Amino acid sequence: MTTTEVPALAATMRDGFKDYGTGEAAVRALDGINVDIARSEFTAIMGPSGSGKSTLLHTLAGLDGLSAGSSTIADTTITSLSEAQITEVRRKYIGFVFQSFNLIPSLNARENITLPLDISGTKVDPEWFDNIIGILGLGERLTHLPAELSGGQQQRVAVARALVARPEIIFADEPSGNLDSKSGSELLAFMQSAVKDFGQTIVMVTHDPTAAAYADRILFLEDGQIVDEMREPTADRVLDRMKQMGH
Amino acid sequence: MFRLALKSVKHSPKRLILTAFAVALGVSLVAATQVFTNSLSSGFSDLFEDIYAGSDVIVEEAPDADEDEGDPFAAAEGILSSDDVDAIGAVEGVEIAAGGLQVAGAVLGPDYAESAGGDPFANAGPPSQIVNWYGDPRVDQATVIDGRGVESDGEVVLDVDSAPTLGYEIGDDVAIATETGVSLFELVGTVRFGDENNLQGATLAYVSDADAHTLADDPNYSSAAVIAAEGEDLDRLAGRIGDVIPEGTRAITGEDKAAEQTEQLDDVLQYVDIFAIAFGLIALFVGAYIIVNTFRIIVTQRTREFGLMRAIGVTGSQIRRMILLEAVVIAFVASTLGIIMGYLLALGFAGLVTLFSGDIFGTLTLPLDAVLWSYALGTAVTMIAAIMPAIHASRIAPMEALRESATSGKKPLKVRNIVGSAMFLVGAGVISIGLFGDFERPYIYVGAGAVTLVIGATLLSAQILSPLAGAMRPVLSRWFRVDGKLAANNIQREPRRSSNTAAALMIGVMLLALVATFTESLKTVVTEEFASTQADVFATSSQGAMPPGAIDAIEGVDGVELTSSIGFSQAQYDDMAYSVAVLEPETASEVFEYQSEPSVDELGPGQTYIDANIQDLGVEVGEEITLTSPEGDVTLEVAGTLSREGEGNFWVDFATGEDLFGEVPIVQTMVVFDDSIVADDADNPDGATTVSEQTEAVQAVLTDDYPLVILAQPGQLEQLANTFIDLLLGVISALLGSALVIALLGVANTLLLSVTERTREIGLLRAVGLKRSSVWRMITVESMVMAIFGTVLGMILGVALGSALVLSLADFGFDGVTIPWIWLAFYTIAAAVAGVLAAIWPAWRASRLNILAAIAADG
Repeated sequence: MTTTEVPALAATMRDGFKDYGTGEAAVRALDGINVDIARSEFTAIMGPSGSGKSTLLHTLAGLDGLSAGSSTIADTTITSLSEAQITEVRRKYIGFVFQSFNLIPSLNARENITLPLDISGTKVDPEWFDNIIGILGLGERLTHLPAELSGGQQQRVAVARALVARPEIIFADEPSGNLDSKSGSELLAFMQSAVKDFGQTIVMVTHDPTAAAYADRILFLEDGQIVDEMREPTADRVLDRMKQMGH
Repeated sequence: MFRLALKSVKHSPKRLILTAFAVALGVSLVAATQVFTNSLSSGFSDLFEDIYAGSDVIVEEAPDADEDEGDPFAAAEGILSSDDVDAIGAVEGVEIAAGGLQVAGAVLGPDYAESAGGDPFANAGPPSQIVNWYGDPRVDQATVIDGRGVESDGEVVLDVDSAPTLGYEIGDDVAIATETGVSLFELVGTVRFGDENNLQGATLAYVSDADAHTLADDPNYSSAAVIAAEGEDLDRLAGRIGDVIPEGTRAITGEDKAAEQTEQLDDVLQYVDIFAIAFGLIALFVGAYIIVNTFRIIVTQRTREFGLMRAIGVTGSQIRRMILLEAVVIAFVASTLGIIMGYLLALGFAGLVTLFSGDIFGTLTLPLDAVLWSYALGTAVTMIAAIMPAIHASRIAPMEALRESATSGKKPLKVRNIVGSAMFLVGAGVISIGLFGDFERPYIYVGAGAVTLVIGATLLSAQILSPLAGAMRPVLSRWFRVDGKLAANNIQREPRRSSNTAAALMIGVMLLALVATFTESLKTVVTEEFASTQADVFATSSQGAMPPGAIDAIEGVDGVELTSSIGFSQAQYDDMAYSVAVLEPETASEVFEYQSEPSVDELGPGQTYIDANIQDLGVEVGEEITLTSPEGDVTLEVAGTLSREGEGNFWVDFATGEDLFGEVPIVQTMVVFDDSIVADDADNPDGATTVSEQTEAVQAVLTDDYPLVILAQPGQLEQLANTFIDLLLGVISALLGSALVIALLGVANTLLLSVTERTREIGLLRAVGLKRSSVWRMITVESMVMAIFGTVLGMILGVALGSALVLSLADFGFDGVTIPWIWLAFYTIAAAVAGVLAAIWPAWRASRLNILAAIAADG
């Protein structure tokens, strides 16, 4: 990406509302959210289940639309875009890491990593690719199909895929949720170093205080509203804060 | 268990819609045929009742084993003299005995003279039935509608539908053509035949008794209708009449006669039934592949569900039963749907036929037979197809419930390949036995062999498809980028499923390619046949034999160099009936290159050439043989050999032909023009008469006296023959069309189910930026590859089998295979288009998936 004017904020949301269902069954998942995601920062979103943290991630990423309010990605207001245009934005500016089933079973690790570039028809930068692969320790595994990789390896491939296109922002939804603690902390350390070393922006949803402690900044959500924010977190501080919220 | 199965069907009806529809289409074809032939049969049996039920007893020629009795319009030779009819009238209990006479001829339209010269086939319209008027409505079975009945010679009465159709009004002169010429009669009235004038499109004309004898050139009657006195026992009356009638005739009650005719017609219709049901079975066979695939995919998708059931104590056989019960539910719903569709199809088709050829149908009813057959076939096919997947499901271990993903393990294709090869070879062997072995009912071997071979080919095709998809990956990746690559991967991932899907299409296309190969080869034969004749024009009669006078008339036209006639009849040799061809040796070789030994012009009186069939009996050249014919025994010297399949077993000249048959029925006269006539497309600076002009001149000479004689140039005949062949191909293609539609439903169905299976994958692709249009394209490429693969395999098999068939028929004049390239190219393009069409629904669903829901989907 060779933008001359670097935006200060990777993503924003203003007065974000999200309602599910209608009438009696209506649920307000986001209740007037204002959020700024700074560039080159590792942001974690925490909150009890039903707090709206996943909804916030999905709406920020343009996977789901807002009922009211607006959001931007790299200074582009996506709330007014068509489905095809949002797909374009996702492809250009966003990387994803999901909790599980991150990979296309029929493509090998290398093909999965380069998938976003293949879709947009962009050439792979071999230096950058080797760099990522080296850091994530995937060199030996590139020709393997996802079924032949361990859970930790699969998630690392997913992170590599998110990184390879150098997106404006990566959204991660419980990336370590299905991993044992060792693989989990390895993965989170990689994500942390991607932020520190490459200036990558990452937004991660998690309910695990240990995972959140890898972030630079934590947003706490409750009932669809941001109730607190924490910088330079440690696992203990996060745990204390969570206990206050009734956990 | 049944409730569980029913719930499962109800829970996800979508995945079963296409399956049910596939079964329904096959069933509908079976049901439609039965409804159709049933109503055709009832339509004709009404006609027979109208014809025969009027008379209490009918005296007619006794049925002869050799003679074809099926045609109710055929005119029989006169066998009853007036004295015989009087004798019948004198039998106790007979009120009226009326001699009946049918005249071989045609009622022409008012403008026959103009129309005859143009289209050579204009006079070959629906048949006419010309009979003598008796004057008693019970005998004539006619009710006067307008005007009056025939009262004196030179008058005619037409049936009430034909008069306006032909364009006659009362008072007009009606032209009736017979072998001897055209006569005019005054139209004095119209009548309704029977109760509804149900004539199946034929024209009915009544003339006076004396006129009928004159027209038929026959002093005798061909039959007699008897009206019994009140209260007579008809069976006994028929017996008493039987005592007084001449030898070779019989007395039968009208009721029995109608029943006999209906029965004979039903025998014929039975073959129509078998023919059409064969196509229904093909459609169902193709449908079976789809059912297998659907159930297999469903079982895979429900692996965890079944695992859970097993874990909580459901036995494997209970799961198997549950799936089979689901199959029964589908079969029942689908068959019911199929029967309704079939009835509507028959209704539509009958409507179409009625539009073109008049009302020839009885009421369209749904015979119980059709319903039972449809349910039986629909259920049987569905059950058989569901057995394998059901067994597979019953073997799912409880542990499978705990597995993360539901993708089936990569079982090697080895067993499948071995079984496939074995079946392929056995199938090919059985077909060869059927084709070349000397067995009764060879088609059973061919059919069974073909089914085995096709199943074998299906099994093997998985082995071909998998590396093929791998090989196509780079190509597809280049053309369609990542969508193409993913499509290739998806095909390769489930080679069994993909090849089963393609196989359904393969069968349909195989049959089409087979028929196309056969018909194209047949066309080549026809073309060569007509190319090998030197005749400029062929003359035939639209009704009966060529009148000898017409041949003289043709020869009398300026510019005609010679004519050569050929006739056919039958004679007995060694107590078996054989066909005898009668030709003119002196001119035959001028019009046609007969492959004979020695040359055909050396065939003399008292001699015969024999064909290969007679040689196979052990008859050799130089022997003397005796043929038995109506005129007595004739001993002939076997002077040579001449084989033309389907024409004559024995070949004789006209002198011998007259010894054998009296007057030889001439089927065709070939006419050669002299050198002053030039070809139509030749360089013609002097304005010489062209072949077409000369043909018109000859036709003009014939119009007045021989209106039934039609002239056709070889090119026209070739065109006509090819039109018929194309029509045959068209009809068969249309019938196979249902199998193809089913196959396409199969492609759509497989894709739809695999889209469901890949929900999360597609969601992920969308999340990382794959556009809806790309998803659509991915599914479409997948569909097209499967469709083209099935089509190409089908064409290879079809052309191979078609060639084998053509080669095995070499005796019938096929001397080489013509590969129908145009058709093959057309099929390939059609397959690609079909692939796009089949992908519409699955692609639409895939591209509309909600990304979040898809990612969260339970995979």
